[in-house]
Amino acid sequence: MHISLIQAILIGLWTAFCYAGMLWGIYTNRALVLSFGVGVILGDIPTALACGAVAELAFMGFGVGAGGTVPPNPIGPGIIGTLLAITSAGKITAASALALSIPFAVAIQFLQTFVYTLCAGFPESAKKALKAQNFTKYRLISNATVCLFAIVGFFLGFLGAYSMSTLQTLVKMIPQWLLTGLSVAGGMLPAIGFAMIMSVMLKKEFIPFALLGYALAAYFTTPVIGIAIFGTIVALLVFFFSGKKDANATTSSANTSTEESRDDWI
Amino acid sequence: MTGSKVFTKKDYLITTLRAYFLQNGFNYSNYQGLGYSLVMYPAFKKLYGNDKAKLAKSLEENTEFYNTNPNFLPFITSIHMAMADGGADYQEARGIKMALMGPLAGIGDSLSQFCIAPLFSSIFASLAMSGVTLAPIFFLLAENITLLAIKLGVGAYGHKLGTSMIDKLSSQMAVISDTAAMIGITVIAGLAATFVKMKVGITYTVTAKGATGKSVIDIQQMLDKIAPALLPVLYTLLMYYLIKKRHWTTYKLVILTVIVGIVLSALKILTTA
Repeated sequence: MHISLIQAILIGLWTAFCYAGMLWGIYTNRALVLSFGVGVILGDIPTALACGAVAELAFMGFGVGAGGTVPPNPIGPGIIGTLLAITSAGKITAASALALSIPFAVAIQFLQTFVYTLCAGFPESAKKALKAQNFTKYRLISNATVCLFAIVGFFLGFLGAYSMSTLQTLVKMIPQWLLTGLSVAGGMLPAIGFAMIMSVMLKKEFIPFALLGYALAAYFTTPVIGIAIFGTIVALLVFFFSGKKDANATTSSANTSTEESRDDWI
Repeated sequence: MTGSKVFTKKDYLITTLRAYFLQNGFNYSNYQGLGYSLVMYPAFKKLYGNDKAKLAKSLEENTEFYNTNPNFLPFITSIHMAMADGGADYQEARGIKMALMGPLAGIGDSLSQFCIAPLFSSIFASLAMSGVTLAPIFFLLAENITLLAIKLGVGAYGHKLGTSMIDKLSSQMAVISDTAAMIGITVIAGLAATFVKMKVGITYTVTAKGATGKSVIDIQQMLDKIAPALLPVLYTLLMYYLIKKRHWTTYKLVILTVIVGIVLSALKILTTA
């Protein structure tokens, strides 16, 4: 599939918007969202959804960066990976697109650290502008990082789309056994995302919930919304009855304690 | 408090919404410092009117290092505005501004990054996998409506109740984030069992002595009988162990996974699902 110049520009603009949205905290810089835009622009939403979803799950834990640290960027699989899968016309699966795009995600991560470092001189210029009471210049400098992000995003998206035929030629040189291997690896990569997020959230007391989720999914093949509902039911039960133990120790009536915990909830 | 107030409800709302701009000037020297003063710009402009020197000085003071969670920032800026409106100078406001930075970063990050985002991301990614075209749009809506509600809520809280609220806020947040974590863990465990794909490709035929037919032994089917999704769960547990106990970085995990995937696939032990 050929990507026209206009499509490449649109993909550039979409990447620019999504990447800038990361600073605004509007969650556009997620694989699921990034790939959806690519799918709409290239007219292949099903492939884009498959790529976006598998990468979203794999990158769920990568977004975990405590205060100011930069994680690998979802633009890798969200834009580059999705482009690879769509333009290959079915030869590259969503899982192998994810595996192939990891180097890009890491490269963009370094690029972002570079931008933040580049911006480290801005506060000084802003202070200088304020000393001169030049408020327009001050506001310009205070918005400079987001502008740089948009520019970087545009070039990532545009160049990614524009060089896709070259990238496809490179990918074609990869032997079939390696592509199959990458596809298998791509299927395993989400394990890292789940494990990362679990390592932050999981406490000993929450292990029953992990078992509940596994059992519902593996033995009963419950859809995810169903799992969320079961999880909510048990979590609420725990919440409403957890105060009871202490109350029972002193009085036998449980009514007061449930009312208390309801008050706290509201 | 005495005297007429300069700021109206609308001013508080505007500053609350400007929390989206907190990272517009993010950099590695003062982090969100530039952003903080940018968020407060219209408020200071209104407060100091034509006194350009005072405005410039206030903005400059507020460019000092700052780093907190954008969704909980309105709580801080509302208090800051109320204090500035009451005539407090920067040193007084600074005490509270800096005291709130850490706790709200902790509460905010754990709630928005480790509870809300993973929950929505996993739910809508799996909807997308089952072919719901608009799942990415729903994801954006759910995420942003929730975060906007938090911003508006804490912004109004900060305005109305002042500094005494922070203790109660953090205890309530602890309960809410615990409940959210329970749901999140249930969902993520379920997803790990569903979406991590590992399939054993080994099959072999055996001819039993005396029997006429041959039977095909499929290792994956045998595993499924013991426990469905056994390999994906074991592999996720291995990753968890490496992160938690061995402190492996993401890079090492990705490299390990790619190598394991390629090698096991080349040896025909694993096949694509």
